Amino acid sequence: MKLDFEEVSVARLAKSYGPTLALAGVDLRFNAGTVTAIQGSNGSGKSTLLWLLAMLALPTRGTIRYGQYGTSHADGLRARIGFVAHQLQLYPGLSGHENLVLAAKLQDIPYAEKRATDLCDALALEEYWNRPVRTYSRGQAQRVSIARALLHEPRLLLMDEPATGLDVKSTASLVELIEQEKQEGAIVIIVTHEAEFANAVADRVLHMDRGRIVEREA
Amino acid sequence: MSTLRAAWLVAMKDLQLELRTKEILTSTGLFAVLVVTLGSLAFYTDPVSSPNVAPGVLWISILFCGILLIGRSWALERENDAVFGLLLAPIPRASIYVGKTISALILLFTVELLLVPLCLIFFQIEPSGIMLPLFALVFLGSLGFVSTASLFSAVGIRTRARDLMLSVLVFPLVAPALLAAAVATRELFAGATMTEVLGWMRILAAFDLLFIGFGVWVSRHLLAET
Repeated sequence: MKLDFEEVSVARLAKSYGPTLALAGVDLRFNAGTVTAIQGSNGSGKSTLLWLLAMLALPTRGTIRYGQYGTSHADGLRARIGFVAHQLQLYPGLSGHENLVLAAKLQDIPYAEKRATDLCDALALEEYWNRPVRTYSRGQAQRVSIARALLHEPRLLLMDEPATGLDVKSTASLVELIEQEKQEGAIVIIVTHEAEFANAVADRVLHMDRGRIVEREA
Repeated sequence: MSTLRAAWLVAMKDLQLELRTKEILTSTGLFAVLVVTLGSLAFYTDPVSSPNVAPGVLWISILFCGILLIGRSWALERENDAVFGLLLAPIPRASIYVGKTISALILLFTVELLLVPLCLIFFQIEPSGIMLPLFALVFLGSLGFVSTASLFSAVGIRTRARDLMLSVLVFPLVAPALLAAAVATRELFAGATMTEVLGWMRILAAFDLLFIGFGVWVSRHLLAET
C-alpha cells in the first residue's frame, strides 16, 4: 500500500562505515513543493544522506520521518520515493525501455508498458530506447535513470549529480522537469557539485563538510 | 506486491538477460562438458567400476557449474549497482532472493539436461529405467545447492570477500545434501529402483525445504541495509 507524506525530517542522523563517520548528526526538514540542493566536497556525507533517505542504508544513530511514518513502513514508503543514484542502477544488458518496464512492474504500476512508453516519449528517449543500456553514452543512461525515478510519480525525489553527462539542452530540460515536480508537490533533494545548476533549481542550498551541515542559503 | 509475483519478475528479468547474451549458459555448459570429459578420461577404467566413479564426477561438475553460474548471476546485479534498483522497489526483500534462486535453478537445470546424458555416455551407463529418478535426484540436489549459494551470494553484495565466503561457507553447508545425492546416484547407477532411492530423495527434499525457508527468512534482513 502506498503511503503518502507531506514532509521529511531527519533528527540527529548519523552514519558510520566502520571507523569512518560519514554523517555526524544532521537535523533537517524538507517540505512538499520545495527543492533543496546539497553541496560539499567529496566525502562530506551528501550521498550518504541520500542513501539513508532512500532507505538503502540504515542509520547508525538518529531517525528519519516521512510525515507520520518511520522507516519501519519501508515498503509503503518506497512506492513514493524516486532515486537517481550516481551509479545508474540500470541493467546494461536490457534496453532503456525494458529497464523502465521492469521498474514499472516492480512498482506495481497498472499498464506498466504503456507508462514506460509514455515516459520515454515525454523525455525524448525513443531514439535509443530499444538499444541495450551498455551502448548508451553517460548522458543517455542518465536520462533513463531519471525517467525510472519518475515512473511512479514519487513524493520524494532524490537525485545524486543528476546533470552528470547531460548536454546543455538536456540540462535545461532537467531544470524544467524539476520545476514541474516541485509544482506538483514533490520534495526534491539534489546533490550536486555544480553551483550554477544548484542555484538554477533550488529554493535553498545546503553545504556539508565532514558529515555536518555547515551553511544554509535561501 | 506478493513475494511470489515480485520473485517471478526478478527471475524473468534474469532469464531475459540470459536469452539475450547466452553468456552464463555458454560458459557454464562448456565448463560442464570439460569436467565430465576430463573426469571420464581420468577415472574410467571399465563398465563394472564406472557406476562407482560416475556419481562423483557428475556431482562435482554440478557443484562447480552451480558456483560459476550463481557467481555470474549475482555479478550482473553488482554491475552499475543494478541490485539497488531492485532494492528501491516496494517489494518484499525475500522476493529478490527467491527470484534469483528460481532463475539460477532454471539455468542450472538447463545445463544439467546436457550434463547428465553426457555423463551416462562417457561412463557407459545404461540409461533405461533410471532417467526419471536420476533427473529427480539432480533437481532436488541442485535446488538445495542453489538455494544455499544464492543466500550467501545475497550477503556477498556487501562483502568484498564474496568468493571466499561462497567457498568457505556454502560447500560445508551443502555437503550433507551433496553426499546424499551422490550416494543415491551411485545406487541408481548400480541398478537400484526409484523406490529404493526414495529415502534419499526425502532427505534431499527436507534439506531443500529447510534451506529455502531459512533463506526466505534471513534474506529479509540481509538485504535490508547496504
